[in-house]
Amino acid sequence: MSLRVRNLVFRYRAFELRVGGLAFEESRLTVIVGPNGAGKTTFLKCLAGLLPVPKGAIDLDGRDLVSLGEPERARRLAFVPQEHGAAFNYSVLDFVLMGRTAHLPLFASPSAEDVRIAEEALSFVGFSAYASRPHFQLSSGERRMVLIARALAQQTDLLVLDEPTTFLDPRHEAEVMDLARKLAAERRKTVVMTLHNLDLAVRSADEMVFMKNGRVVSSGRPEDVLTENLLTRVYDFPMTLFRLEGRTFVLR
Amino acid sequence: MATRRKRFLTAFLLVLPFAVFLASLHVGTSQISPGLLFKTLLSPLFPSWKAAIPPSTFDIVFAIRLPRLLLALAVGAALAVSGASLQSLFKNPLVNEYILGISSGAAFGASLSFVVFGSRVPPQISSFAFAVLAVVLVLAISRRSDSPVVSVLLTGVIVSAFFSALLSLVEYFASPYSLQALFFWLMGNLWKSGWADLAVSLPLIAAGLAVLLFMRWRFNVLSMSDEEARSLGVRLRREKLVVLVTTTIITAAATSVAGIIGWIGLIVPHLVRMIIGVDNRRVLPLSAALGATVLIVADDIARSLAAFEVPVGIFTSLIGIPLFIVLLRKAGKVWR
Repeated sequence: MSLRVRNLVFRYRAFELRVGGLAFEESRLTVIVGPNGAGKTTFLKCLAGLLPVPKGAIDLDGRDLVSLGEPERARRLAFVPQEHGAAFNYSVLDFVLMGRTAHLPLFASPSAEDVRIAEEALSFVGFSAYASRPHFQLSSGERRMVLIARALAQQTDLLVLDEPTTFLDPRHEAEVMDLARKLAAERRKTVVMTLHNLDLAVRSADEMVFMKNGRVVSSGRPEDVLTENLLTRVYDFPMTLFRLEGRTFVLR
Repeated sequence: MATRRKRFLTAFLLVLPFAVFLASLHVGTSQISPGLLFKTLLSPLFPSWKAAIPPSTFDIVFAIRLPRLLLALAVGAALAVSGASLQSLFKNPLVNEYILGISSGAAFGASLSFVVFGSRVPPQISSFAFAVLAVVLVLAISRRSDSPVVSVLLTGVIVSAFFSALLSLVEYFASPYSLQALFFWLMGNLWKSGWADLAVSLPLIAAGLAVLLFMRWRFNVLSMSDEEARSLGVRLRREKLVVLVTTTIITAAATSVAGIIGWIGLIVPHLVRMIIGVDNRRVLPLSAALGATVLIVADDIARSLAAFEVPVGIFTSLIGIPLFIVLLRKAGKVWR
């Protein structure tokens, strides 16, 4: 399923997000980078339908995002926030089961099939053993994986993740990125995420989007668009690209 | 192992109100033996048994004890389920069933009936009307706001204070006789309940409880942050409205017949969460069961402790508050 953006404008007080045109394709992992305050998270929330956007600005496989009701949208696109907002200490499995919301009518409880889907999502992120644990006991890295599992239980073609690796140690960072790559490559999902770690972004991304001050400065495949000049311009900070054994590192 | 224990506890708690209900039919000033009680209860089905039953026994069971117990069952369940539902909706375990101004609205409505209208408008009707009005005011005032949860709760406090002031005004001008009746009502009691009270309140409470219990799993999702719930596919505005309207109807229906019975909506869901966990698929039905049990038992105490009636609301508060302090200290990781 493809996700297209055209003439998106979102204003909040003095901040203005303006994206002229951008497309995210099936089986591709797109990473959005840029300095703090560039509007990355705002952009993601617009894509996820959590902020009001103009009619026709965001197109989900031929359907205008504005015309979709919440359940319809949530069956096509899953959003993974940086942190969960739970007030009660649900078990990990109950937490992941909430991903089934959009597939269930108001007065229904999850069926055995829904439970199976949630368990499968947990096992996909490698957390089957955690099913009955209270989720407040998880570390932030573990919580991130459970949030991703919940999004997988939504069974959407589109997956939007807000800085999924922040606060994670290198191993968990790599695990989350491997998972995102696997979802794009094996499950043919359209994956969009924001990242601060540029090395990780360059290594994992099929496509990159560079943002600054609410605008897209550049976008495309990393090997085509990534230059020292671009990075320095986006971050207002001198950066050097360093290539070793076919891999690109960003040095400050 | 843990799940087997949970299943046993769940079954036990679900059966408990019915056991307590049957046992409580024996509680009262006149002694009725279990055998006679059994016969009396079934006598409408077997007319031939009627001859053996003293008419006074028949009246005590059918006109006094049965409607009162049914009402205790319904009111206890309504208050506890309302509390549990609103705690999830507002993502705050310390919210109670009266948070949107229902108790103050109901109290003011009742005061109008006792002091101003007299017998022309019964307290059941005026308290129900003003309880609903209080909630409508809260929702209308807080409608346009950046932070709906904070704003609704805050407006609830303000509207409550406003109706309390109005209540004081009515009390100030009231005669001692009507004040006594009003105070008794305000303390919460099931004393005067008869079939007429049940005829209106019971269907309202039953229908409301059915709505909330059918959507019990949904409360897990509604207890997430608003943004998260929306991203998971919740039509937030609509579903919030369903919950607010339903809890208001059942709480107002309960309050209008029983007065203000405090602490059940706060204590009971807490106890249930500590016993069985926070999954609302269990919390809601078990809150209904335990809420009913608690109010039936409290009412048993209220009518048998002294030679005269003591308002049951006093007991739910006297038992509820210390229990709540203990719970708060022990609660651990039930919420964050």
